[in-house]
Amino acid sequence: MTRGRVLPLDLDELAACVSCGLCLAHCPTYRATGEETRSPRGRIAAMRAVEAGAEAGPSFLDILGTCVVCRACETACPSSVPFGHLMEASRQAVADRAVPWWQRLAYRTLEHPRLLAALTAAGAVAQRAHLVPGSLRRRLSLPELPLRRARLAATGGDVWLLTGCVMDAWQRPVHADTVAVLAAMGVGVALPGPGAACCGALHSHAGLHGRAATLARRVMAALPGPAPVLVDSAGCGAALKEYGHLLGTAEGAAFSARVFDIQEWIAARADLLPAPMPSHRRLRIAVQDPCHLRHVQKAESHVRTVLRPYGELVELTDEGRCCGAGGAFSALQPELARTIRSEKTAVIDAAGADVVASPNPGCAMWLAAAGVEVRHPMEIVAAAAGLAAPR
Amino acid sequence: MTTDGDLVAQLRAALSPERVRTDPMELGLYARDASMLVGRASVVCFPESTEEVAAAVAACARAGRPFVARGSGTGLAGGATPVGDEPPVVIVTTKMNRILDVDADSRVAWVQPGVLNLDLSRAVAHFGLHFAPDPSSQQSCSVGGNVANNSGGPHCLLYGVTNAHILAVEVVLPDGQVVVLGGLDPEPDGLDLRGAFVGSEGTMGIATRIAVRLTPLPPTVATLLADFPTMADAARAVTAVIAAGVVPAALEMMDATIVEVVEAFVHAGFPTDAAAVLLVEVDGLSGGLAVVTDVVTSVLARHGARAVRVAADAAERAAWWKGRKSAFGAVARIAPNYYLHDCVVPRTHLVEVLEQVSRICAEQDLTLGNVFHAGDGNLHPLIVFDARVPGVLERVHAAGAAIVEACVAAGGSLSGEHGIGLEKRDAMPLVFGPADLRAQAHLRDAFDPAGLCNPAKVLPRGGTRCADVADLPEGVWI
Ligand code: SF4
Ligand code: SF4
Repeated sequence: MTRGRVLPLDLDELAACVSCGLCLAHCPTYRATGEETRSPRGRIAAMRAVEAGAEAGPSFLDILGTCVVCRACETACPSSVPFGHLMEASRQAVADRAVPWWQRLAYRTLEHPRLLAALTAAGAVAQRAHLVPGSLRRRLSLPELPLRRARLAATGGDVWLLTGCVMDAWQRPVHADTVAVLAAMGVGVALPGPGAACCGALHSHAGLHGRAATLARRVMAALPGPAPVLVDSAGCGAALKEYGHLLGTAEGAAFSARVFDIQEWIAARADLLPAPMPSHRRLRIAVQDPCHLRHVQKAESHVRTVLRPYGELVELTDEGRCCGAGGAFSALQPELARTIRSEKTAVIDAAGADVVASPNPGCAMWLAAAGVEVRHPMEIVAAAAGLAAPR
Repeated sequence: MTTDGDLVAQLRAALSPERVRTDPMELGLYARDASMLVGRASVVCFPESTEEVAAAVAACARAGRPFVARGSGTGLAGGATPVGDEPPVVIVTTKMNRILDVDADSRVAWVQPGVLNLDLSRAVAHFGLHFAPDPSSQQSCSVGGNVANNSGGPHCLLYGVTNAHILAVEVVLPDGQVVVLGGLDPEPDGLDLRGAFVGSEGTMGIATRIAVRLTPLPPTVATLLADFPTMADAARAVTAVIAAGVVPAALEMMDATIVEVVEAFVHAGFPTDAAAVLLVEVDGLSGGLAVVTDVVTSVLARHGARAVRVAADAAERAAWWKGRKSAFGAVARIAPNYYLHDCVVPRTHLVEVLEQVSRICAEQDLTLGNVFHAGDGNLHPLIVFDARVPGVLERVHAAGAAIVEACVAAGGSLSGEHGIGLEKRDAMPLVFGPADLRAQAHLRDAFDPAGLCNPAKVLPRGGTRCADVADLPEGVWI
């Protein structure tokens, strides 16, 4: 492999784009704007221009920074251009200038569970006392933060469950429901120590490669042994599955091979799923495909397999297009993210479902902030089977 | 002379400052379309209405500055590549992407030019209708681009190319006036200027509203996949199917090179050991369909098909088509560049022309794939190469010229559906004599006397008045 002179990417991968444009219609930011600077093809052309000597100035940063890194273009691309790798490597080259201090600080917070818990509690009080300024509220579009965290206990050692950062602080009931569903299937769950608090996904998307690699090594150390590593956040799962690429080591690749999206793992054992309670009302469930489940993990069919016994599945008509959440994207590019979300909510409204199942906490919060009724698939299964943890 | 600054100020006043761009990196992204022809844009602007297009065009006309309309930029002949005496203004229609009106009873829709072809079909599917032209770039290409190129597609064998599906076009003429060509009546009065405009490749004005004919979705469809031990057998089978009196909705051929890369992308179960694969689609009422399917199956078998499979369900059918329509991009698995040709030969000469094409590529030591609309003899020889290898481009172009000559010598034409653009411009004299070319230039001049509208495209001279644009402008790289 030959690395670029300016950008630390693989030049063969960069050359693989034939500029056919077949990705355009699948790119959420192109659909929202119709502009090449907001398209996979345009972004790749800009990378080539920079490699050929153009200045990596403000317009280049803007072209990179407005990408959700949803990777829908990868699924659409007949030439299999590995866009995610090209984008992360390009961002790595400009991270010094492109990532502001407050973003780095926020990412650091994610690495420290106690700090995150303390900030969450403070935030929860502030929300209830209506102390959060409107501008910040709009930029972050946070859900209602929990005042107190539910208890979460290990039940055995058959599998690991990655608990993560924000999800553990804000959506612990989802973890609790996941553990309960697995217990009903006869599977004992081990919980990692604080080392696995942050998977480094946001760091890698932002091009903070060194930090992402450090976090990856920490996560691997906190999840030792041969047991499968189950992840109930699609974004984190995708990140863990890419450790092999991120670290470029056999150890990383071996770890990645142990990682499964929770639905993916359960779908292979769907006969063990608990039966719905007789009193359970079958809901019409629309499945929202998180980009990193569909385009990176390619595991979207498993969500449907897991949910099918508990409701009537309704397909959205937009071929799994991005909702605009994109990890930190909704906070970094709020206007673009909202335009993308409004297309998504229109498609969701048209589907006429009772509830939207989202296997990614970021998407779930982002859609809920627009008034959509969202649940994690594990919450839907647990509720239907009478296993739901107290809220 | 108007300076760039004046022109930009006028465009900003006419549109909005935010939708007129001059950043060098952004301009670079509009220097080419999906072809390999690179030009140079001076300004890129994004109008949102007919009035804004008219104002932008008028500003260019006043400044004597050439302009080029661009939709999704998926064209393969350089039609949207900006070239001119001065770097043109690129007028992008992607933000004009609304379906304005659907009349399901009359099967007509008015759309803006930036509406994507497949989005339109999806939006009217619940009426049981679709927009029939289905180029391979269907998911991304715009209806405006289809009008400009008079685009074809696999299913145009039965349904006809874009021209047959356009009833009327609202056009901003090169001086900024707005007119409507054609009409919704079955036979509008006067000369068919709509017919002249469709396929004019952006040289006669910019379409801003388009009335498209919508076609009922076929009640039932059967898709057949046949594999053959030789290309010649497959080509003869194509002629035999049509000779048997069947007009399939689509009749496509892929050779072994293409089948291999496509299968690696879609995993649709294509036979990777076949020398050639035919994809045949027939549609109609369910009663007749079974009979037609049987006829096609037996004709294919008689002409050497090793196996004929019928798609089991909609999912399998969709996977086969996805494979076929992704072929051009999928060849990047072999090498990062491709040169896709597009010429038409009489169906009866398919076998000999295919043999000639493969001989030409072998002589130049180039990798060749064939994927094409066999039913109407529209060849797409696809030369795959790595442009970074020294000397390869010369060989690619030598092979290209020889292929075009071979097709024309067999009684064919220069382009089936991609258009002439910049790519085939200088080959026009192979099929047209001076009188024909002059007549076309007069027509173009009638629309664009100043020669500002997508100059240097299609006709070997940019119009009778612009005799000096005979050669490719400097900086254009083919
Ligand atoms: S990324 Fe892939 S689909 Fe998009 S233009 Fe490049 S080759 Fe085509
Ligand atoms: S990753 Fe998503 S937003 Fe970025 S270019 Fe690809 S499709 Fe567009």
